This record gives sequence, structure tokens and C-alpha cells, in this order.
Amino acid sequence: MAAEDLNILGQQLLYIDEQKFREVVSLLEHMGHNPEVQKTFSLIRPRLAEVKPRRRPTLKRVFCEPFEDLFEPPLPGDRTPVDAIERVVVNRLWPLVEAEMGATLVADLSARLKSADGPALEALSLELWTAGAAAVFAVTAAFEAGRLADELEIRLNTARVRQLQHVGNALAAAGEIVALKKALSPKPVARLHDDHLQAVQTIGKALARSRPEALRVLVLVAAARLADPAMLLGSLWNLDFGQKSSDRAALFAEVSGGVVAQIETRVRVLKNAAAQDEGKPDRLAAADLAVDLVNSLDATRGAMEVSRRNEFDKRLKDIRGAVHEMVRTQVLHEADGSIIAAMAPAAGGFPDRESLLRAENHARALRKCAVVADSLGLRTELRTVTDRTIGTLTTSARQALGSAGTVGAGTRAGYTAVRLIELIAGPTEANRVLTEILEKGRPL
Amino acid sequence: MRSLTNFAPSTFEERGAAVGFTTPTLAQTRVRQDERGNLEVLIPNISEGRGVYVVAWKSLPLAFPMTVHDRCLQDILMKSGGCSPDDLRKATLETARFGLAGPNAADAAEAAMRDDEEQRLLINYQLITEVLKAVGLDAGQILKAGLGSAQGEKLTRDSMTRAAKSLGIDATELYTRVAELALFMEPVGLPTSPKPARLRRMAKELQKFHDTMTEWSTTTKSEAGPIGGFCAEVAEHTLNHVRHVVTRLDQSVSAFELLLRQWEAKRKEVKAACTRLSWLLDGWDYITALWADAHGRSRHEQDMAVHDIFRIIPLLPRDEGRIDFSLEAGKVLTANRKIVRAYVDWRTGQLDADLVQRIEQLKTRAA
Repeated sequence: MAAEDLNILGQQLLYIDEQKFREVVSLLEHMGHNPEVQKTFSLIRPRLAEVKPRRRPTLKRVFCEPFEDLFEPPLPGDRTPVDAIERVVVNRLWPLVEAEMGATLVADLSARLKSADGPALEALSLELWTAGAAAVFAVTAAFEAGRLADELEIRLNTARVRQLQHVGNALAAAGEIVALKKALSPKPVARLHDDHLQAVQTIGKALARSRPEALRVLVLVAAARLADPAMLLGSLWNLDFGQKSSDRAALFAEVSGGVVAQIETRVRVLKNAAAQDEGKPDRLAAADLAVDLVNSLDATRGAMEVSRRNEFDKRLKDIRGAVHEMVRTQVLHEADGSIIAAMAPAAGGFPDRESLLRAENHARALRKCAVVADSLGLRTELRTVTDRTIGTLTTSARQALGSAGTVGAGTRAGYTAVRLIELIAGPTEANRVLTEILEKGRPL
Repeated sequence: MRSLTNFAPSTFEERGAAVGFTTPTLAQTRVRQDERGNLEVLIPNISEGRGVYVVAWKSLPLAFPMTVHDRCLQDILMKSGGCSPDDLRKATLETARFGLAGPNAADAAEAAMRDDEEQRLLINYQLITEVLKAVGLDAGQILKAGLGSAQGEKLTRDSMTRAAKSLGIDATELYTRVAELALFMEPVGLPTSPKPARLRRMAKELQKFHDTMTEWSTTTKSEAGPIGGFCAEVAEHTLNHVRHVVTRLDQSVSAFELLLRQWEAKRKEVKAACTRLSWLLDGWDYITALWADAHGRSRHEQDMAVHDIFRIIPLLPRDEGRIDFSLEAGKVLTANRKIVRAYVDWRTGQLDADLVQRIEQLKTRAA
């Protein structure tokens, strides 16, 4: 199959039905380690992450299992784990690890892997992770001594050296990480319960005794398995891993720094997206993100208060300021004008459907932002905007429903205004407005 | 888990018909007439226990906060007083047409109403063709002249008069019988129809639902698998009944001359079969749309969709089948008690706007 064909196939694979997708993935796997096939896999990675087809285990895949939760996400907009590991680093590292482990061991493990299943596969995985950890530490030491840099074929910086250390530590603590993944599943964990925290503490305590340097990566994996890593931050300070208080503070500071950096990245991505999306911004998506960010911020803030730390205050304040600005400019700014304008009749006497759908999303965004308005200091501004919009919509509804005789453009415009009131202020207010209008003369 | 599967009615009328509400707590709850002919609504136990709340229709807004769409639908139904699946469909389309469930649902309702109108014309023409065929006349001329044209109408009148004479029936009576038949059969249509009518399309969707749900429940590793299996089983049982009714109906209509000659006896059979079909398929449009929407979504969302379907699945009444599905549902529920997610939006007292939006989107697809 030509390279171009594989590229086209990759594009199509994103849309075909699930069963066919699984079949094609299985066929592609049998085509081996051709670079074009690997490129196709990179193209379809978002769908692979979603469908999770049963894939042939390879040594590299088993090698990656302990730290796979820390991989950067396949899509740029998705939430990146705290201290994420770049795929390119692992792709370049793997041949060096193979060389370090030795051809005999690699050949032996590969041969056994073909028929391994159940307990045999578990034993083989542990064997690979132990040998892999030793190999990664040896390769990392070589890098730090200035050797092997050319073989890695990528630019090494502090962040990438840290990623290599995470890989080594994750492999060394693979047994504990496997147990942690079982306790924190299915991923993403939407809510942290006591049994989750108990599992993190028990596993972390055992690891802190045997291999304290790997505790950080265990906590990072735990955070990456949560829907919002800031949730763990709220409980991290109270988890007892049996460390000295200075070690505990250092671990907390590192993870907090990562969480705050992650929130900052999301705000940055959002600002860039808003700058590129000036024509028709998705206001509902902005409101959803604002609510999500404020929840993360509040959880982080709470954790800082419990731990009585203030080194992140300035950064958290800046983030809150950025979210405030985003809600003000993308949701509140000219909300009334844009919602009312969408109701203007287009061809055929009815408003344009696309404009109406955008106005509905804008109305929903206003309602969503009411949850975080207090926290962002936008309460009065939001109140003013919603009151003004509801006032205008009520007048429109009164005029349209008061004059229309049958179901037509007028009646529909009136009910559309009532619906928009409902989306902004809830059904109680909308029902009150409608009842008041209908009681003044027009039967439903 | 809140579910109407706790409720084991004997007849379709006792089970009630599904209402297309958009308020999450009330979505697809069932309405029926009480012994005095007043409407009442059946709501699964909101405290997660067994049993069903029976609330007077007019008191519904006092008991539950409702969307404006639902208040209007409730009002329209209260004024019409009917509660058959056809009455509810008419009221639901009428309400959606106002735009209270969003512009997409309004357009879908308009399209569905236009489709009904087309089907009405089509079935009328097809039945006239059947009359003419039954007495050995050719309907091709009428089609050539144009159905709506003056010449076409004249040709139809002449042919029908000749047909009436041949059948030994008064021409006006023949017209009345065709019109009455068209009224019953509009949602079912004829098997030869170039565009299958609504209930036949819905039966096809139900078959698709059954096949995909069976496959999903047997291949998934999810704990919702047995619940999906139960839903597929209910669909299969319903489909068997649907096939039986459709076959008998098609047989009656294919012997058209006999149908016209033994009108008094046969019309009751045809009417009963059409009504039964609409009761059998009642509520499945929403469910098939819900499942189709879950296709391609994440495993977790598919699990949640299966739980939602289980909550509202229209079990056949006890008198309709040999299997007591309510009892079977109880067993599934007991076996999966730990994992069945509670439907808890009512706890907050706040309307879940995202859920309302999702129901509105499904409504658009199901119209």
C-alpha cells in the first residue's frame, strides 16, 4: 500500500463504524513497523483512545503501560496531564532501552510474549519493567554524563530529562502503579471517594518505604486518572505517606505547581482559540470551560489554604483574572444585543435557524456563568445583562403573542422569546411571563 | 433505580402512552385515563424505591417544576382529553411547532406534519387503486392525468362509480369506506407503498435497535451488559407481536374485495390492528433515537444510555404476552443493583439544562 493511500485511509478511519475500525486496526498491525503505518496510527490515535480496540501486545506497548496515563493527549485541545511525557521521547528512548537490555533478553521476551496470556503475561510484564527500569536509569545516567545524546536524536532539555526520570521511576514502581490503576478505574474518575483516597495512601505509603523517589510519579499517575487533577490536590495534603514533613511539603509544592501550570496552559489555549475565533465564537464552550476552570481554581485554592501555602497566590490570582476577562468579553459582552438580533425575521418571516441556535447557546452560556459569577466578581454585571435581555425578550413576547392569531411567524417569534427567557432565567420565570401574557387575552 | 419496569399493567390502556416531555424527571412518563375519564400520569418512584406515583394530569405543574414546552403540552392535552399514542403524537408535534423545544425540534415537527399529509394523500390514492384493481379497472389513466388535476378527479369519480356498481355498493358509501380506511391506515400504510409509512419505518428502526443492542450486550465488558440484553429481549418480543399484526393486516388489505364486501366485520379488525400497532410501538421512537445517538460515544456514555433506556422501556402488558417482563425486569434489577446508576437530578431541585438540551435533540430525531 502506497504512503498516500495509507494517509487517505487514516483520514477515513476516523469516521467508519466501530466494527470495521477494529478490523482495519488489526490488519494495520499485521503490516508491521513500517513508518507509514506508524504515521497512520498517529493520525487515528484519538479514535484508538476512544474505541480501545484489542491490540496485539508488543514489548514496547507493555513497556509503556506503567506511564501511559502521563502521555500527552492525542488531540491538542484535550487536558494535558501534569508533567506529561512526550510520545516522541519514548519513541526515541525505546531503541536505546532495547540495546541496553541486550538482544538476547529482548528476543527471549518477544518470543514468550507471542503466546503469553493471563498470569504468564503478568510475570513477563514485571520482568520487562524491572529490566526496562534498569535500562532507562542507565540511559539517563549516560545522557547526564554527556553521552548518547546523538543516539536519542532529539534535543534534550530539563523537562525531557525529567520525563526520562519519570519513565524510569514508573517502571521501577510498576507493581504499585498497576494496583493504583485498578483502584482508580474506570478512567477518568469523576469523583474521588474515600476508598480511592485510601488506596492512594496505602499504595503510596508502601512505595515511600521501598522507593521514595518514585512516589512523585505515582501521585502524578493518580492525578492523571482523575477528571480534574485539582481534585487530588484538595486531599493530597492530608494523605499520610509516612514522609518527613519537608518531603511532604516538597511533593505537595511540585504537584500543585504542575496543576497550576496546567490551568495556566488551558487559559492560554483558550485565549488563542478566542483570538482565532472572532467571527462566531462558541460562547457555550467558553462558559463550560469557565465553570470547569473556576472549579479547578477553587479546589486548588482550598488545598493551598489547608496547607497554608501562599507561593501560588499571585499565579492563581492571574488565572482568575484571565477567566474573569474571558467570561466578560466572550459571554457577557453585548449578550442582549446578539440574542435579540437573532430573533429578527429572515426569509419566509421566520428567524434564521443558525442564528437562533447561536442565540440559544449564548442564553445557555449566560445561565451557566451564573454559577461562577460570584466567584469571578461578575455578579452585578451578569445581573444587569440578564435583566436587560429578559426585559427586551418579554416585550417581544408580549407584542408577538398579543397580536398573532394563528400559529405563524408571529406566534413562533413570541414563543421563541419565551424559550430564550427560559434558557437564561429558568422555567419558573419563563412560565410566569407566558402565563401573564396569555391571561391578558390570548388563549393558548 | 427509578424505572417504570416496576409497574406491571394488564393492558395497553392501563400502561398508558409515553409523553414527549423535556423535563428530565418526566421524560417519557406515561399518561392514561382514570375510571372517570380524567387524565393521570404515572411517574417512577422518585425516592428510588419500588412503585409508581400516580398524579392527576392537571396537578402535574404543582408537583414538578416543568419546562415551558411541557406546560404547553400538558395544557394542550388537558384540553383535548385524549391519551392514545396518536393523540399524544399530535399534541407533541403541535407543541414543538411553536419552537418551545428549540428551532431544530420545530423544523422536525413541521417536517413530520408534512410527511403525515403526504402519507394521507398517498394512502388515499393507493386505496382507490386497490378498489379499481379489485373490480378489474386500471388506475394508470388517473395517474397519467394527474391526481390533483380536474381531469384526474373526473376520471377517479367515474371509475369509482363503476367500481361501486360492480361491487353492489352505493358510490358515496364506497368513498366513505375508503376515507375511513385511509384514516386508520395512514400511520401504517400499505406494504407496496413507495415510501414506507411511519409505523413501518419505526418497526425497521426497532429491528435495528434489537440487532445493535444484542451485539453490544454480548460483546461489551461493561456491567450494563445484562441490562442491555434485557432491553434487546423486550425489543425482540415486541417485534414478534408487530410482525404478527402487520402480516394479518397486510393479508386483510390484500384481499381488498372481501374487505369491502364484509365491511362491518373486517373494518373492526383493520382498525383494531392499526390501533394495536401504534400501542405496540409507542415510546420506541425515543428509545431508538437515544440508542442511535449513543453509537460512537464513549463506553461510559453508552452505559448511561442503556440505563436510561431501561428506565423507560415500554414493557408489553401482561395480557399481551406469555412472558411477564415486569418480573424479568425485577430480576435484572436485583442482579445489577450495585451498578445501576441512580437517576438523581431531582435531588438538586434544579432543572438540568444539559439534560433538557439532550432530550430536545433526541426529540428532533424521533419526530
